[in-house]
Amino acid sequence: MKLMKRNIKRGLGFIIILFLLLGFYLCYALVFYGDRWFANSYNSRVRMDGWQPKIIPGDILDRNGKILATTKETKERNPKTDEMQTYYYRSYCSESEKARSIAHVVGFHDPQLGRSGVEAFYIKYLMGYNNSLLERIYQKALLPQERGNDVVLTIDFELQQFIDEIMGKHKGAAVVLKVHTGEILAMVSHPTYNPNSLSGEMEGDKLYNRATNGLYPPGSAFKIITAVSALENLEGIMEEEFICEGKLDLSGEVIPCYNEQKHGNINLSKAMIYSCNTVFAQLGASLGRNNLIKTAESFGFNQDFLFKDIKLVASKLPLKSSVSDGKLGWTAVGQGDVLVTPMHMAMIGAAIANDGTMMEPKLLKQVIGRNDKLIKDFEPRPFKKVTSPENAKIIQNMLKDAVEEGTGKNAKIAGVNIAGKTGTAEKQGENGEWKNNAWFVGFAPVDKPSLSIAIVLEDLPEGQTGGSAAAPLAAKILKKAMELGH
Amino acid sequence: MVVALTGKGCEIMDGRQYEIIALIMRYWFVALVLLIFGRLFWEGIKKNKAELEEHLGHVLFFMVLLALSSFSLLSFFDSKVFDIKAAILGALISAILIFQYNFTKLLFPKFDRILLLTVDTLAILGFIMLQRLKPELAFRQVEWFALGNVALIIFGIFAKKLTPGKRISYALIVLSYILLILPLVLGKEIAGAKNWISLSDAFSIQPSEFVKIILIVVLAERLSKEKGFKDNLPIFAFVAMLVILVVLQRDLGAALLYFCIFMFMYYIATSDWIVILSAVGAASLGSLASYYLFSHVRVRIEAWKNPWADIENKGYQIAQSLIAISSGGLIGLGLGLGSPQMIPASRTDFIFSAICEEFGLIVGFCVIGFYLLIAIRGTRIALNAPSSYKALLAMGATVALVIQSFVIIGGVIKMIPLTGVTMPFVSYGGSSMVTSMAMIGILESIASDKNAEEDENEEDENENEDEELEPADED
Repeated sequence: MKLMKRNIKRGLGFIIILFLLLGFYLCYALVFYGDRWFANSYNSRVRMDGWQPKIIPGDILDRNGKILATTKETKERNPKTDEMQTYYYRSYCSESEKARSIAHVVGFHDPQLGRSGVEAFYIKYLMGYNNSLLERIYQKALLPQERGNDVVLTIDFELQQFIDEIMGKHKGAAVVLKVHTGEILAMVSHPTYNPNSLSGEMEGDKLYNRATNGLYPPGSAFKIITAVSALENLEGIMEEEFICEGKLDLSGEVIPCYNEQKHGNINLSKAMIYSCNTVFAQLGASLGRNNLIKTAESFGFNQDFLFKDIKLVASKLPLKSSVSDGKLGWTAVGQGDVLVTPMHMAMIGAAIANDGTMMEPKLLKQVIGRNDKLIKDFEPRPFKKVTSPENAKIIQNMLKDAVEEGTGKNAKIAGVNIAGKTGTAEKQGENGEWKNNAWFVGFAPVDKPSLSIAIVLEDLPEGQTGGSAAAPLAAKILKKAMELGH
Repeated sequence: MVVALTGKGCEIMDGRQYEIIALIMRYWFVALVLLIFGRLFWEGIKKNKAELEEHLGHVLFFMVLLALSSFSLLSFFDSKVFDIKAAILGALISAILIFQYNFTKLLFPKFDRILLLTVDTLAILGFIMLQRLKPELAFRQVEWFALGNVALIIFGIFAKKLTPGKRISYALIVLSYILLILPLVLGKEIAGAKNWISLSDAFSIQPSEFVKIILIVVLAERLSKEKGFKDNLPIFAFVAMLVILVVLQRDLGAALLYFCIFMFMYYIATSDWIVILSAVGAASLGSLASYYLFSHVRVRIEAWKNPWADIENKGYQIAQSLIAISSGGLIGLGLGLGSPQMIPASRTDFIFSAICEEFGLIVGFCVIGFYLLIAIRGTRIALNAPSSYKALLAMGATVALVIQSFVIIGGVIKMIPLTGVTMPFVSYGGSSMVTSMAMIGILESIASDKNAEEDENEEDENENEDEELEPADED
């Protein structure tokens, strides 16, 4: 009986633990994922009913006050009641075709097709679910139609428009960030669609936002991370001399430089400037798996990004504990199984430019309520400390020289000082032909960085590289951004 | 009055007026539930039982307020007509509550009143949600609740007097087999599980619910005799047989529940870790095998791992449940202002999500707390039970109720894979309500038994036990 009483108490203890876990899990899940669940496209509570909307969603504006999305009304015949009625619908940009450039940022809100982009993620504000009790009662009692709040984005529509134009027919994505605040000035994904006439746009991958969802092998652009890892883990690495013979044999795996060019005697800075694969492959092998993964994870790889403002797919650096030196070498030059999104790459560039502090990407600037009352103003949020300011400075100088005299030469244009790293990742197409993904990751101006950029162009023919294709575009975009006053 | 109010095209209350009132009343409901929960929990974990009974009358008053105010609000839910039925139902529920309280207080002064009031509060929340989701079901649920009260009284009187011997045990075992084989032969399939016997079109029962009581009684009787491992072999066979039968019905929830009840009771009776651990190991192997063997198990697991991956099919239930919970926020969207009807099975398995959506997370936590309180009170009753048979019986009933609520709440918030069991006292369902109330009856019976024939010698010991128990209660 005595034993039994002890056991009964233990049983209660076990039950109490179970219920505490239940409570903690519920809190944890709602704090970290609650807003995402609420914003899900399948949440019909915040779906706008075109015929009898309870609440009309607010407008979406760019940082200069240009209207990117608004709710309009027409008189139409309601198929259900067969009467002429007011029909509400979302309309994007005053000139319908221009809406293409911001389609992936703003997204769409359609009674049948659901929601995406800002239209989905900020639905809480757009539908006024953040309003106070008094405001909601006021609107219900005294206004003829309830209306949600307006949302001001950090996007600069003019820059967005410019990038969309110069990317032309290229597939790919480009992201421009402000390095100190993490504000997203532009986020373009190609091919794009027109949210004003969705019915014809559903086929293909037009709706796919490559900037936040597209996972690409970063190619040589990954060398930034390998270099940071070397600076942190290998002492005296800056003084060390390497010998490049055009290719390197790492336990059976041959890693060549581009066109098997021999760089001869070379140090880390020069290796970065000329994007020498053999040196970085050696670095990868001598760093080892654990150091490389540690540095990459401090940059946010292999991590669920739970940002307040955007949904970003996790970047991947899968390395088994039994990884071979050859695989490590390939990973260190960004070819192995490394996958990264353009947005994350822009964040990495921004972190280097911001002396080692990575900011959370920020898309939501303000929420504006009835009578232009400012309801919410969002502060920049630091995300991670990726490396020391000293190391960041060293990398900044390497990237500066890479544009000055190295692979990024084509990014050198009059009027702006740019630093950056190119990258070219090869992949075999369906018909067996080789195609290139071209990268440029960089920042400007060199001495006081304020902007960072990541651009990736898909499916370029052989011979077109990050240096020849992506770098010039990046330079033009950065120049335009500086002209616009950022 | 009704006729005057329901004149053609005459709206008695503008839809927006209802919304405004519901928005404001959210705070009132949260405050009431918090108050009830706070009072019950505070009294529930107190050591001293002497002055306890005096303080609980006003909790009943708050519960009646909760029922009356919410049903009055819901009677205006459809803005076209004043729903007099809802108002009447609110009054009826209040009457049942007051009657139950005073009746049991008069005839069974030794009943554990806190336990009873906790159960009543959960039932009220269930009535409100059902009235909001489907008014016809709310009325039937109140009927079930009344029937459940009858079961409570019957078990409250007789459970302490019955100490089944070997013969009755065997009869019960046979009865449980029959009950579980019946639906396999006659049953109809509901939501992939064949665990119902339908007696008429509108009336079907779920035998696996009633078998829980048999399981508890038989286990308590068999395990209370101190015996070795070998003597317990028939019990293993009995439990294994029950689990296999419900697995054949594809009622995974019941299988899990039977297994947990057995584990708890066996450990409490024998403290035999080896058997427990090997049973857990065997069960894990079994569930691993069923993962590869049965597609419906795989579907459940995949829906649990990532409901958003296949949100239109497999993940739909859980995704909608999570969306509903996250929509509610802390104080809810307001009674009648959410869309809990979007969640499949929102009246039965997913009623917790519906409550979280319209009443908010605070009330959701209170619901979890109410079940914890049932566990605490049930354990206390078991600790004070006069014999090891009764202690086991009390603990079995407690574990059955509490683990079942843990399994379903954990399932709908995606903490554990979803297994379809009802939420005791809250979900719609007659079999579940009557069984759960009967188990409360068992607990109350043992509570009053102990108090009636209190042994002076044991008193001191119990006081000490209670002191040891205290730190665990504070959470």
